[in-house]
Amino acid sequence: MAISLRAPGRSNQAPQKKRAPRRQGIAGWIFVSPTLIILGLFLLIPVLMALWVSFSDWSGNGSPFSAGVHFIGTKNYQQLLSGGGLAETNLGTSLRNNAWYVLLVVPIQTAVSLFLAVLVNRAVLRGRGFFRTAFYFPSVTSSVAITVLWLFLFSTTGAVNKALSYFGLHGPNWFNDPNGLVHIVFGWFGVHTGPAALTQHTALGVSWWDWLAGPSVAMTAFIIMAVFTTSGTFMLLFIAALQNLGGDVQEAAMMDGANGWQRFWRITLPQLRPTLFTVLTLGLIGTWQIFDQIYTGTKGAPENTTLTPSYLSYTSAFGNQEWGQGAAIAFILFIIIVVLTILQRAVLRERRVSKRRMRQYDPSLQSTSSKELSR
Amino acid sequence: MSTNASIADVTAAGAEIETADERVTPLKPKRTKAFFASSIVIYLILVAIAVLYIFPFLINIATSFKTESDAAADPLSLIPQTWTTAAFRTLFINSDFPTWAKNSAIVAVFVTAGRVFFDSLAGYALARLTFRGRNVIFACLIAVMAVPSVVLLIPKFLVINQLGIYDSYAGMIIPLLVDAAGVFIMKNFFESIPASVEEQAAIDGAGTFRIFWSIVLPMARPALITIIILSFQGSWNELAQFIISAQNPALTTLTKGVASLASGSLSAGTQYPLKLAAAAIMTIPVAVMFFIFQKQIMNTSEGAVKE
Amino acid sequence: MQRRKSSRLLAIGALAAATALGLTACGSGFSSSSGSTSAASTKDLTHKDTALSVLIGSSGPAETKAVTDAVSSWSKSSGTKASVTAASSLDQQLAQGFASGKPADVFYVASSAVAGYAKAGDLLAYGKMLPKKSDFYPTLVKSFTVNGTFYCAPKDVSTLGLVINTDMWKQAGLTDADVPTTWAQLKTVAAKLTTSGHVGLAMSPQYERLGAFMAEAGGTITNAKGTKATIDSAANAKGLSYVQDMLKAGSAKFSTDQGTGWGGESFGKGLAAMTVEGNWLTGALQTDYPNIKYKVAEMPAGPAGKGTLQFTNCWGIAKDSPNQAAALKLVEKLTSASQQLSFSKQFGVLPSIQSAASTWKSQNAALVPFLDSVAFADGVPNQDGSADVVTAFDTQLPSLKTGDPKALLATFQKNFAAVLAK
Repeated sequence: MAISLRAPGRSNQAPQKKRAPRRQGIAGWIFVSPTLIILGLFLLIPVLMALWVSFSDWSGNGSPFSAGVHFIGTKNYQQLLSGGGLAETNLGTSLRNNAWYVLLVVPIQTAVSLFLAVLVNRAVLRGRGFFRTAFYFPSVTSSVAITVLWLFLFSTTGAVNKALSYFGLHGPNWFNDPNGLVHIVFGWFGVHTGPAALTQHTALGVSWWDWLAGPSVAMTAFIIMAVFTTSGTFMLLFIAALQNLGGDVQEAAMMDGANGWQRFWRITLPQLRPTLFTVLTLGLIGTWQIFDQIYTGTKGAPENTTLTPSYLSYTSAFGNQEWGQGAAIAFILFIIIVVLTILQRAVLRERRVSKRRMRQYDPSLQSTSSKELSR
Repeated sequence: MSTNASIADVTAAGAEIETADERVTPLKPKRTKAFFASSIVIYLILVAIAVLYIFPFLINIATSFKTESDAAADPLSLIPQTWTTAAFRTLFINSDFPTWAKNSAIVAVFVTAGRVFFDSLAGYALARLTFRGRNVIFACLIAVMAVPSVVLLIPKFLVINQLGIYDSYAGMIIPLLVDAAGVFIMKNFFESIPASVEEQAAIDGAGTFRIFWSIVLPMARPALITIIILSFQGSWNELAQFIISAQNPALTTLTKGVASLASGSLSAGTQYPLKLAAAAIMTIPVAVMFFIFQKQIMNTSEGAVKE
Repeated sequence: MQRRKSSRLLAIGALAAATALGLTACGSGFSSSSGSTSAASTKDLTHKDTALSVLIGSSGPAETKAVTDAVSSWSKSSGTKASVTAASSLDQQLAQGFASGKPADVFYVASSAVAGYAKAGDLLAYGKMLPKKSDFYPTLVKSFTVNGTFYCAPKDVSTLGLVINTDMWKQAGLTDADVPTTWAQLKTVAAKLTTSGHVGLAMSPQYERLGAFMAEAGGTITNAKGTKATIDSAANAKGLSYVQDMLKAGSAKFSTDQGTGWGGESFGKGLAAMTVEGNWLTGALQTDYPNIKYKVAEMPAGPAGKGTLQFTNCWGIAKDSPNQAAALKLVEKLTSASQQLSFSKQFGVLPSIQSAASTWKSQNAALVPFLDSVAFADGVPNQDGSADVVTAFDTQLPSLKTGDPKALLATFQKNFAAVLAK
């Protein structure tokens, strides 16, 4: 995705040789044809087929194009978005769960990976390779294996609770605890039921009070897992970007008496903006699709607090034979991801102004930012 | 659809960064006492975090050699009270684990081979060959990368089913044979090597495929290794695609099999040593790959920056 | 530039759509056989001489082995090849099978799933072809009857009972005469059994447990015809309130509040002196908590008399099966008295036919209350989509202690009415 936003510019740079011989044209098409056929067959056509299914009453017996299957308009979507029934509540719940997951995972994993990158990148550091390896290793393992490990670590009598007990803490019953973090915090202050204004009104079949519940304790275990497994990958991206940074600006800033913290915020971070953008975008897209972990681990339990739209889409279709609704959920999720990505892009773009501060130190950056504008 | 953002996407993005910026000499800070003090602090923090990152895997390995009661009683200890290989024996003798491993290996090998060949073919065409519609194809490729894979879960099943390759190796492998991100990485690489050699060969009368096969491809070794790593890891760790493309137990892969182990039934007990042994074994091939090609992996994401 | 690109993309999209349609036209692998919906007699069954595949949702190795052995012995005697597969995810594998037109021939179907499959035209309605159909318990037949059609043969049955830890029972000074038969007695013994170490009664916060109390209060899910939801009745509220009283008094707790996964775990770990569970509990206790001594009693009667819940699966036969005739023969064998008694021995289920009852009781004296309960048990709702509604109710039950039973039931009612209206 990140690539898609920049790459069209690059394709124009591709070597335009004198004039292409005809032979090259044919070869070109032959060379790309396997890719085109496979991607077309297993990406483009599936999407179109699913689009049809999401507007049909296909119940999973035989072909979705057979005579007995009817076009039912937006009925599937209506049931999900305003049906007032369970389909709506489940979708609302799954969106609530996943939204909290995204809201916590994306900033935390970005911050952690940046933090690790900055530490590891310290030039004098010995053993840099070791640390990089250690932090990156969780990223290469499969989500199934990690989830199995997590189920053990976070079981009631598991390693995490054991470790917590050394600090005199009584750990929660992680994967069986449906209580939302925000609700738990309210509970500390004696608030156990929300004000009527919040409990009386619902959006997508879930009361406002429940929207604000926060991720359940069970979901929190998944959040920790996501940070654990992805921070290493993103750390590598940040390291790469850090090594490409101009040292001159830093030195100029040092002369000006800016301390390390100020230099990081004023100089380094703004320069990392493209990478930051990549990491945030990839994070956003990835976190909205959490499926493997739910399938392997909780299957939506406890009390549907780890139900996610992608898992709901899967169970609606393969479990409940509601293929139309399942496909419709997938498209709703697709739209959410696209809209959020565009939104995020717009938000990050507007902040370009802050670069002005850097220009105080280095006039040559003027050209860099104009390059950025052209992208 | 791995844990989060797929590594291929990240790598493609990394390649982008690498070519987008030029390299500048790193900053040489002045070494003062304060600096050394802060270095020690940094080391301490790093070591602490590294322990946090490594410890779970050590627990994983240790627990797979424990008895069930030991695993429950002392989940943190790295040394089993009584060593037992019961979990491994059960896996290899009394379960379908060997079949799962075989299937995962078959799929990974075919997918890797397919991606190396098809990705580089397409990448080369897009980088070097001029033909009508190239830009459109490229734009589509990028649009395809933006489609979240989870949207495809149901529809992919429909197509696999329609094509009559449901419940077969073909259905499991073919949809994975090409990945847009891989094409993108290869294209980037081919653009970075000078065209003069090929031009010479073309003048000598070599055909396009021969130029690609015997001249350009050997030069693309680093990029090919990247594709091999990413494809192997991607297909070995893939779950969703195998869930929807097959149901025959003889076609179960490690990811699917271990996932079904994880959600065992009530009366079966927790069986953590067994599950963790399975998780540990399925991690070995990617871990080995990781350590062999470590430098390459790091460089993939770091771009051309040499240390 | 941008515009031109997008129009090109559109063109490609259109092209792909055309391809997709073309693909459909020559669509392969689908049997669009929508011929005779329900075969009237065994003569109408398909009978190609093909091997049968049996797909089961197994509870563990014992069940898989028992079914595999039974099927292979039938295979030997009948000459029809047959193989058994234990599904890792039954619903998913069935759905994929139906959609591909090549489903398993014989498979487990949960009572909550039968209506959905029936509606989609996945199941062969062979109920009335069974020679011994009157031998099945009538309540079980009802569970697999959709719109008046008896679809498939009940495989077995499980019921809920009151399971008592006999050591704790004695410690509290209780005797066999104190085994509760009424709500009032249950409340008293639960209070007596509650100590600092354990509660009197623990159970999972699920309709599948608390529904028994709703039934004992005279509550139902629908009216007799199954056309109207009757969940928000005073009787159902009474059932929940009764449980709520015990929760408030501290003599009962939900397993979730004890940090366990289900009532059986609370019971096994000694956190509860009694639990409401089904006959599957005995197997779990044997493997995980062999030291617990227990006895089983029928659920105590409520204001409306005795009541409990029963759970059951049936042997579904696929309508797309090319060899329905052999499949039916296999099912007849698998539901025969001798076979069911053998299954019961191997993985602890109750036989679904009345003729096997007396033998079973003599073999399982300690578990007789479970089988006796079949006489007054209610099935769980089997309408298409009801399983989701029940799950949604389950997500709210943990808050019963502080919540309003009527409000919980109102949501249940609303969702269930929507299912019936579908």
